[in-house]
Amino acid sequence: MNELSRAHIRDLMSQVLANQGRTLPDDDAADLREIGFRSLDFSELALRVEDATGEELNFDAPGLRRIATVGDVLDFLETLQRQ
Amino acid sequence: MSDTPLVPPSSVVLVSGGSRGLGLAIVTDLLDAGVKVAAFARTVTPELAKLAEAYPDRVHVGAVDVTDLPAAQAFLRAAEERLGPVDGLVNNAAVGQDSMHTHTSTADIARIVETNLTAPLHLTRLVVRRMLGGGRRGRIVNVTSICAQRGFPGLVAYSATKGGMDAATRSLARELGGRMLVNAVAPGFFASEMSAVLGSTQLDQIVRRTPTGHLTEPDEVVPVVRMLLREHTNINGQVIVVDGAASV
Repeated sequence: MNELSRAHIRDLMSQVLANQGRTLPDDDAADLREIGFRSLDFSELALRVEDATGEELNFDAPGLRRIATVGDVLDFLETLQRQ
Repeated sequence: MSDTPLVPPSSVVLVSGGSRGLGLAIVTDLLDAGVKVAAFARTVTPELAKLAEAYPDRVHVGAVDVTDLPAAQAFLRAAEERLGPVDGLVNNAAVGQDSMHTHTSTADIARIVETNLTAPLHLTRLVVRRMLGGGRRGRIVNVTSICAQRGFPGLVAYSATKGGMDAATRSLARELGGRMLVNAVAPGFFASEMSAVLGSTQLDQIVRRTPTGHLTEPDEVVPVVRMLLREHTNINGQVIVVDGAASV
């Protein structure tokens, strides 16, 4: 599988926010609620990762509910790619 | 005020089951409104082929069975290459029923559920994934039926699928958080092939009970579909019944 690096995923996340006129903070501890990154934004990011890797990423909602920070998003997608 | 931008009018619309009846009327109406349309059905009828000839730059048609997901996916990709990114979907393809539930084969029940419920859910997933992945907003209209809300003999499995699509409409509207508008249009019975499943006595009874005094015609439904795809409204997660108040 063509796995994306953490930096690449971060760049895609930045693009998702930029499309909405928002900026992704450099700090991985940044709170998603404060930067306005919602569950649909996560879906869009996951689809962009899929597009880049050619692999479908499916996951259940409970896993998403534990995500609170930018770092959590990157961790989740990095882990998901390896499953 | 929310910072969620409005969902723009759909400019490239995918219509399933667009070769005859209401589907063909929807395709024709959208073309008249200047919209680009990708339409498929199991068979491309002469009427649909004629539209494709008349609007070569704005129509993409193909013979696709809605239950064949890889074929639908290939059609969508080809349509987007030709017309641009799809930002509207009309789930119209469906099969009817004319049999008592106890005398409907299990294979026929499975076929009705697959065509009328599973296939549109798959097609919707496909289109939403492309729209979300591309950072686009869009609109979805599910063509359901008054059967989803009122009981009619001989239409048990059909009614179940239409009720399922009404329910999916509400949940999808919630799930998509305003990035897409998702609604359903539920026509009453047409005086067409779908109504052939009802006997003349039943049809006469429906007409008598309809305040407007006539069965619904496709031309009375298409403006509602167009409005949901094109107009700026805050309608989302709704099922709009078009039946002359027969069911009220």
